[in-house]
Order: sequence, then structure tokens, then C-alpha cells
Amino acid sequence: MAKSVLVIGGGPAGLGAAMILGRLGIPTILVEKEDRLGGSPILNHYHTLIPRKLKPEQVLGPYIKEVESNPNVQVKLKTELSACEGEPGSYKVTLSNGETHEVGAIVVATGFEHFDPRRKGELGYGLYPDVITNLELEQMFSKEGRLYRPSNGQLPKRVAFVFCVGSRDRQLGVTNVHCCRYGCALSGLQAMEIRQHYPDVDVFCYYMDVRTYGTWEYPFYWAPQEQYGVRYVRGRIAEITYSPADGRLRVKHEDTIVQRPSEVPMDLVVLVLGMEPSAGTKKVAKILGLAQDPDSKFLVPSEDSGSNIISNKPGIFIAGACKGPIDIESSLSEGEAAGAEAAAFVGAKVTV
Amino acid sequence: MAIHERSLVEPERIVRKERLVIDGVDVSGDWNLIILPRVINDYDLDFAKEIINSPDGKTITQCYQCSYCTASCPVHNYWDERYNPRHFIHLARLGLIDELQKRADVMWRCVSCHKCTHRCPKGVLVEEVLKVILRTMAKKGLIDEYPSKKFDKFFTESVLEYGRIEDGELLFGWIEKQGYNVVKDPILKKPIPFLGETPEWLKQLVMKPIKSMNVSFLVLNAKHMLFHPRTKNWNKFKQVLRKVMQEEGALT
Repeated sequence: MAKSVLVIGGGPAGLGAAMILGRLGIPTILVEKEDRLGGSPILNHYHTLIPRKLKPEQVLGPYIKEVESNPNVQVKLKTELSACEGEPGSYKVTLSNGETHEVGAIVVATGFEHFDPRRKGELGYGLYPDVITNLELEQMFSKEGRLYRPSNGQLPKRVAFVFCVGSRDRQLGVTNVHCCRYGCALSGLQAMEIRQHYPDVDVFCYYMDVRTYGTWEYPFYWAPQEQYGVRYVRGRIAEITYSPADGRLRVKHEDTIVQRPSEVPMDLVVLVLGMEPSAGTKKVAKILGLAQDPDSKFLVPSEDSGSNIISNKPGIFIAGACKGPIDIESSLSEGEAAGAEAAAFVGAKVTV
Repeated sequence: MAIHERSLVEPERIVRKERLVIDGVDVSGDWNLIILPRVINDYDLDFAKEIINSPDGKTITQCYQCSYCTASCPVHNYWDERYNPRHFIHLARLGLIDELQKRADVMWRCVSCHKCTHRCPKGVLVEEVLKVILRTMAKKGLIDEYPSKKFDKFFTESVLEYGRIEDGELLFGWIEKQGYNVVKDPILKKPIPFLGETPEWLKQLVMKPIKSMNVSFLVLNAKHMLFHPRTKNWNKFKQVLRKVMQEEGALT
């Protein structure tokens, strides 16, 4: 049996797996299709991460440093998996750079991608410059450090968050009926950041229900309202229009508590994007023959196992957002668990 | 143009003119009827801010619209569904004033049982918050003052005058204010109890206690009703009290 492990994906889950495997002294190959490690939080310039309100560099920096400096881990950037043969315990994998390796186990951590809001034409993304995504708002904070309306560069008086764009939506087909899990909490955090730095800006969150599950309830749902005066209005935004008379946007919805239609002026509208499996996830699932959810195409764990990192193929472990929406701290710990499982699978003798 | 199912459209949303000319074109007749939409066009956030910034209205931001308060509210449960504390909080927080005004006739009907405040899972002081909403609306002229406020003022004035609660004066002075033709004594110009016009319910109400009352107590009461005694040294104290109350805005 081969003693090395292949980790596919250099995001939080992949880094967690590679770090544990490196520490356990197992020869590890980490492939990442982009030119740097860190995954979506680093590549997309996230500003602050839920739930601990730390910067991506603070969270992922130590992982990247340890993975890059550990002699047991070979990091291969701009590389993807192109083929896989063999059987559990000795998979012969071919990479896009032509190399072939024999590995005992594989950790799949190929992640997600953000929903493309152009598919919801009624929300006017791409048509009106002041309709932005929550990813663009993160980048506005992290790259430019200020809040402004893209149309004129000025501070907005009112900001609206539109929840569930590309989530829980059968109109997009069966692929997007799941909840994105992070959107409610991140919107609460972004709204608090806006109110903290610009107390005169009024912030509205348009929701169907607020899913700041578990211990996130207080910090990301109650605190925005009680401490920062963020307003929550129940009703899904059905249409965004632009009024040339005053240069402001109108968000059309029904206030379901008042039971009246509303068209309220807003200066900046932030679409809270859902998560979809990344192209890499779909490709790797095909190459490795992993089970996928028939609707969303996210990877699904083995039906026989209670653990969600065990895949339907022995010796292949799945971690992070390739299995469905997940937050970063859980992604890291799933990666670490998958790394430990892979180490046990290749029969490593670990001495402390 | 005729409106079918007119009952579905509130009369204030129907705009119709006898004669109408738009851009030089006479559109009088059946074609100038407009039904205004039901759409909410904006929030009045200044109204909402005034409530949030008042000391007893702060907890309005804590509400998450679970309706524990409304489910517990006796006014909502036994009287009128339009009295809905949870809904008032939502409307006030967004400053949807026209919706609040639609409920102006029921909004004063809180019986202050405080079930809402004691049960609220988010710690909203519901009863206080509703009073702030009403106070703010009254201050801005968006709602008529609570009718019982008139009695409260009369009561305060009476206490300020004598330094004590003077039942006879309070009762018959109030009856006089209600338009009954009472008989006044020529010197003090105060109504003399039961001499003039007296409501029937009051006669019935007082007959029973009077029958069972101790004679000396009855005489004492009658004496007070005629001569209006004051608390000792009240005149000096009254001036100070009135000044302080005026400064604190408690007399408005």
C-alpha cells in the first residue's frame, strides 16, 4: 500500500488536511489550481470572517505558513487532478502538469463558488451600478476601506441587504434549493460594520427568515438590531428598479407583516449570494466517481457512515464546502479530521 | 369608468374629478378615474428615531416579532384584533405612520396589565414602548390625545388647588365639565353636590353607601364638600410644586 496522501484543493479544508498530514509525518501532495494557497477567503479578499470576526490572514496565515514550510508536504500550484486509476490503497493519479503519483488515500476539498446574480435578472445586477454583491462589499471594505455608491462614489444614506439571492429558489431549477448557511450571519456582521463606521447610514435587511443558527443568534442577529440599530423587514425583494428622478434605487417587495406592497428608495443594494459547488468539485466527482446530490451536485457522504467526511469510495475523504455550504472554522476542522482519517487509512504508524 | 367591487377599494384611494384637462386634452367623463396604489413609498425614520432615542422606548429595537405579547394581550384576545402590540412595534420601528393612524381609535385601549412586558422573551418593555409610540404620535399631532387625559388634568389641578383629593369637588366639577347643569354656591363659585342636575347612575351609585354610612362621617363629608378645606400651609407649597412641575414639563 502506498503511504502518501493526495489533497485536492488549497482552501481552508485542504489546508487543514495537509497541515495534519504534514504533522503526522505522512508524505502529502497538495494540488491547487490557482497560483496561491488560501482558497476563497484569500483569493476573493474577504474582509472579516464569521463567527470570530478575524481577518482571513489571521485565520489562514498560520496554516499556509506551516503547510508551505513542512518538508512532508509538496505544494503544487496551478495544478489540477486530471485522471485517477487503481483501487483503494493504491490510487494512481495523473496531474495536469503530467506528473503521476501513487497515493494511498485522497482528501477532496474542492470547495464552492459564489452564485452569479446575473441569473436573477429582476434584481438588476449588472444593470444598475449601485446593486452590488456581498462579495463586492467585502472587497470594498478590504481593498478600499470605505463604503460608497459605485455610481457616484458618495456615501449612501440607506443600504439594503437582499437575503437568499441564489438560495432556496426553485425558479433557478433544482440546483439552488438549499440554504447558504452563512448569508444571514455575514449580513448581520457587514451591517454592524457599516453602522459602526457610518452611524448615519440606515441599514435594512430584507429576509424571509433569519437563520443565524446555534450560537450565532446573539452576535449576528440580536446585536445588529439591539446595539447597532439595523432594521429587519420580512419580505423577499422581488424586483429592483431605478428612478432617474432622484437617482436612487427602489426595492419592490411586500412587507409581509404589514401586508402591503412597498417600493422603498435605497442608495446601495447588497445581494447576499448563495453557494454552488465549484467547477472543480463537479470535475473531481466525475474523475473519482464520488456520489453527488442529484439536485445541487454537491458531494454527499457515504450512506453507511455517520461521519460526513467519509465518501462512498474507500480511501477518499471529502471535507469543506464541496459537500455543501459551510463556514470557515468548520471547514478547517473537517479538513483536519479528513487528514487524520486519511493518515489512519494509509496505515501510518504515528509516534509522539 | 365604473369600479366593479367598489367595496374592495378604500374610498380615500379613489380620485375622481368632474372636469379634468391634461396637456390641453379634456379627459372629463368616465376616463379620469384614478385608483391610488396601496404601495408603501417610504419609511419615516425620524419618527422611529425619536422613539428609539427616548429613555423608555429604547427596548423597541429588541423586538423580533414573535407575537408572544399579542397572544397574551387581553385587549387583543377579548376586544379588537386591530389592537396588536407586536404590529404597533413593527409599524413604529419603520415609521409607517399612515398604518398607525388607521388604528388610532383602538391604540389607547391598553389596560396596563403588563402581561406583554412580563412575558416578552426579548425583554422588550412592551407596555412602556407602546406608551412612547402614543406620546410621540400625540406630540406630532398624528393622533388625538387620550380622552382620559382630560380627567387626569382636572384631577391634577384639583390636587394642586387643595393639597388633597377633594372627592365632591372632583366629582361634581367633572360632571359640570361634561355639560350637566349644576348649582353653584354664590361665594366660592363651586358646584354644590346633588342640588342641580345629577346623572341617574351617580344617584344610584351614592345611595347605597350613604344609607350605610356613619352619621358623623356623613356630616364631615358634607362639610368638606361645601367648604373645601386645604392642607395646612398649602399656598406656599403649591407655588413651589407648580414651578417644579412646570420646569419638568409635567403640567403640559
